[in-house]
Amino acid sequence: MRLERPTRGRILVADHDIDRLHTSQIPFYRRQIGVVFQNHQLLFDRDVFANVALPLQIQGLEPHEAARRVRAALDKVGLLHREKALPIELSGGEQQRIGIARAVVNKPALLLADEPTGNLDPQLSADIMRLFEDFNRIGTTIMIASHDLALIARLHHRILKLSEGRLIGDDATVEEVS
Amino acid sequence: MNASRTPPPRQPRQRSSSSDQPDTRQAKSRRGARSQRTRVNSRLRAWARHHRAMALDSVRRLIRRPLGSLMTMLAIGVALILPCALWLTLDSARLLDAGLEESASLTVYLDTAMEESEAMQMASILRDQPQVAAARLVTAAEGMAEFEQALGLEDALMRLDSNPLPASVVVAPLDTSPQAVRDLSEQLESIQGVDEVRLDLAWLERLRRLAELGQRLTLALGVLFGFGVLLIVGNTIRLSVENRRQEIEVVTLIGATHAFVRRPFLYSGAWYGLGGGLLAWLLLGLGGQWLSAPVQALAQSYGAHFTVPRLDWEGSAALLISSTLLGWLGGWMAVDRHLKEIRPR
Repeated sequence: MRLERPTRGRILVADHDIDRLHTSQIPFYRRQIGVVFQNHQLLFDRDVFANVALPLQIQGLEPHEAARRVRAALDKVGLLHREKALPIELSGGEQQRIGIARAVVNKPALLLADEPTGNLDPQLSADIMRLFEDFNRIGTTIMIASHDLALIARLHHRILKLSEGRLIGDDATVEEVS
Repeated sequence: MNASRTPPPRQPRQRSSSSDQPDTRQAKSRRGARSQRTRVNSRLRAWARHHRAMALDSVRRLIRRPLGSLMTMLAIGVALILPCALWLTLDSARLLDAGLEESASLTVYLDTAMEESEAMQMASILRDQPQVAAARLVTAAEGMAEFEQALGLEDALMRLDSNPLPASVVVAPLDTSPQAVRDLSEQLESIQGVDEVRLDLAWLERLRRLAELGQRLTLALGVLFGFGVLLIVGNTIRLSVENRRQEIEVVTLIGATHAFVRRPFLYSGAWYGLGGGLLAWLLLGLGGQWLSAPVQALAQSYGAHFTVPRLDWEGSAALLISSTLLGWLGGWMAVDRHLKEIRPR
């Protein structure tokens, strides 16, 4: 996300060294990445629709095209009926799902999720992980940071283990979940 | 930064397919050129759409806090009033000065022992001089009357036995430049029957220096108070940026450019500036009206006609445009400075 710069080594995203990006290029780079935050980071002064439409508005998409995509994203997370609600009226799980809808609305190639299930109960956590898997199936690269080891283990995808800032494990076995 | 709302989409219209065109290289490049043009077009439309949305959004935010916005605009208005009023006063004084320059006149005092008929003859001689545009005779009696009126002594019981004043001729020169007037004065003094020629060049010079001083003062005050307006707007916008910190952070992480984030605050600044300018214009008008009666009375007691200067259309437009620009600039400065503190690196 170019929030930090590496002290050593390089960060390559799609074979591009992102540390070499000029400041003016960073916004355009960030537009290609969808981010799901731990505390959803929704804007409380506007309704769900406006929240999810934010990335499209930044890109300058036409209003009717943007509306179409917003509704598609909301439908994917199962919250199309809550389009006019304010974020404060939603439950924790719903807020998190709106955050996910906002992250995927512009169909990014890479989706980053920081503790997406941190505040959620096991059932909701499982639902959200299933959502991520759906996105992955249609071709989005997904990188999830999580402490929920049990949940991750159940998913049978590539797991990178970090401890005190060091990579201590890279379980590259990818099994197709039938 | 609100998104616009549209109803659910209807059935998609049938688009004319471009497949009826032969897929020649020409056709392909034509399509490519068209798509490039429409891409530029759509980018322009998106830019215009965002500007429109931000302009409206910032007005709505101002209205949502009516008292606070009004106070800021009032502060800006008050800051703008003083330089404006000074400029107006100077402008009218300059007109006065110009009028005086145009009527830079010499007073030719004739010999004291002259008869009235001789005085009239002198007047026509002076009128015929080449550099003289006009000559007006002021007889001794008239001179005395003017003198008494100027000093407010019409009702004075103490009157002099005889009129010590000479007759005079007020001469208006053709060329009002200081050198030409000086030459004419020397020339007229040499005429027989002329006692002395009074020319108050010193007074004209002094007036011109005063006007220059006034211009400099107005400029200095204008710059100072303009800077004050920048600070007022800057402070308000800084608070506004602080309040919307979370929104700015989120939007930056999603990929908003600096210009995108800055836009609503620039519009806020411009609206504050415009509002402040309008208030200044209003207050100047009201103040002018309130002062006009006593000022006119004072002028009349001096025998002059003077009305309080008012801002004309050009002046008003200049005031509003400059106040809006100042507000916009103040917003820019504040946003640039404080965005750096907020944004994730």
